[in-house]
Amino acid sequence: MKTKKIPEMKPAFLERMKLLLPDEKDLQSYLDILKVKPVKSFRCNTLKISPENLKKRLEAKRWKIFQPWENYPEVMIVEGKYVRSCAQIDKLATDSVKSLVEINNTTNKKSLKEELPFNKVLVKKSDSVDFEVNQLRAKGEQILQDLEPGEFGRSLEHLLGYYYIQELASMLPIVALKPNEDEIFLDLCAAPGSKTTQVVAEMKNTGNVFANEVSLGRLRILASNLERCGTTNTLITKKDGIILCKRFKELGIFPDKILVDAPCSGEGTLRSSYQTYLMWNEKTIKRLSKIQKKLVESAIEILKSGGEMIYSTCTHAPEENEEVVNWVLENFPEMKLENIELPIKTRPGLTKWQDKEFSSELKKCARVYPHDNDTEGFFVAKLKKCQ
Amino acid sequence: MPIKVFNKKEKEKILKSLNEQFGIREISGLVLQRGEGRLFLFQGDFNTGQFFEFEKKLWLERAGVYFGKIEKDGIRLSIEGSQILKDQITKNIFELDEEQAEKWMCGQELLIKVGQKGFIIMKCGEDFLGTGKASEEKIGNYIPKNRRLKSRDVVR
Repeated sequence: MKTKKIPEMKPAFLERMKLLLPDEKDLQSYLDILKVKPVKSFRCNTLKISPENLKKRLEAKRWKIFQPWENYPEVMIVEGKYVRSCAQIDKLATDSVKSLVEINNTTNKKSLKEELPFNKVLVKKSDSVDFEVNQLRAKGEQILQDLEPGEFGRSLEHLLGYYYIQELASMLPIVALKPNEDEIFLDLCAAPGSKTTQVVAEMKNTGNVFANEVSLGRLRILASNLERCGTTNTLITKKDGIILCKRFKELGIFPDKILVDAPCSGEGTLRSSYQTYLMWNEKTIKRLSKIQKKLVESAIEILKSGGEMIYSTCTHAPEENEEVVNWVLENFPEMKLENIELPIKTRPGLTKWQDKEFSSELKKCARVYPHDNDTEGFFVAKLKKCQ
Repeated sequence: MPIKVFNKKEKEKILKSLNEQFGIREISGLVLQRGEGRLFLFQGDFNTGQFFEFEKKLWLERAGVYFGKIEKDGIRLSIEGSQILKDQITKNIFELDEEQAEKWMCGQELLIKVGQKGFIIMKCGEDFLGTGKASEEKIGNYIPKNRRLKSRDVVR
């Protein structure tokens, strides 16, 4: 299998990460995990199947399933697939022989012979494969191997909407928000629909869920995911978030809960999106910070009194996280930060970044670093509109 | 194209058809139509009047879930339609074995003589797999492309 080369981290990015993770070992752990692909996590769609039944089905396909969070059985990780049958063992042997034949046919034997005792190499390789295969046969051992390409995203269970592939850290905003049945919920930046489908499952398809997305391409993905998951209480809109909030006000819709999972620089997604290494720049961070403040401001205006809002991003940049939340606390006295309980290790929000000081309340925010839990990076803040 | 919210009479007509085809007795929620015969089921709390307001001010892209299509021979339920209404489906169900289900989910028509014509619900074990159209020689497949298994995805 071809592996993509990880692009180099931009020096300015690295400098900022050094400020965020001043401990050398900590920083190294962070840098190390960026080289490792994230785990294959997913969420059982409880609208269609129970976690127990889904687990049974997937285990029947010899998938090794792990439920990492005790109180959230719907959250699962597939660690690989057991291979036990003789057919698979034979395949290993056949593939090895095939590759040896290919070497034999394609390599310039003469030159190779000059450098290496070619026949000896062949014999040695055959021996080792035979030995491995015989050992597996004798012990009847099961081998855990990676799922085949496409197997995770195009399994029957996935196509039928029984599970949704979602990064563990991306599940945290809804875990923190705890939506209830019969509420009005607004997901302001909803595509691709991971958190919307999570909310709808939590609300058991009751109440009303508005899923908004401004980009047409992303909206199609959102619609397709909501359909696959069988969400019957959702209304999809395609509006600029700020304009949508104005319309809500005119219509007198005041959601009980709002999720502002804001567009961000995506520093937390480096493990799965190498593109972020290339696209990252400080100018974008500053630009996004302004957009994020406008989105949050609009959301606060329509949040029901006593209602709750999650502000989240998948970036580590404090300008897009603590700075935005601090700005909210300074400009909207009715908004208070709430403590968050999450099933993974988090670090408190920053109270200082470069020359900026933030409220000590910001410690209530949750920073998620990839190396703390083997996830992507995330930021979550929970705000309540006091009466 | 705006969303049309079916009134009581129109909804009853849909229900009558679904009852005759599959034995379905009740559809809770609003039945909506957008596009040529495409039916959506919305089970949220908003009423018809609110929908008109939303249409004017928000221009809804989608409401609820696509659950079926009105065809000249009746209503064809989508995968979600068959799953949502599964507890009420009592007739015109065709049980597939695993091999047939695999072919079905790959988007292939099945060369099976069902002994009847028209729409039938495709089922394999606990899984409801949408609707097929039975003719004399085969069952026509309607699994949309983005929901199909690719044969290379079928790993035993």
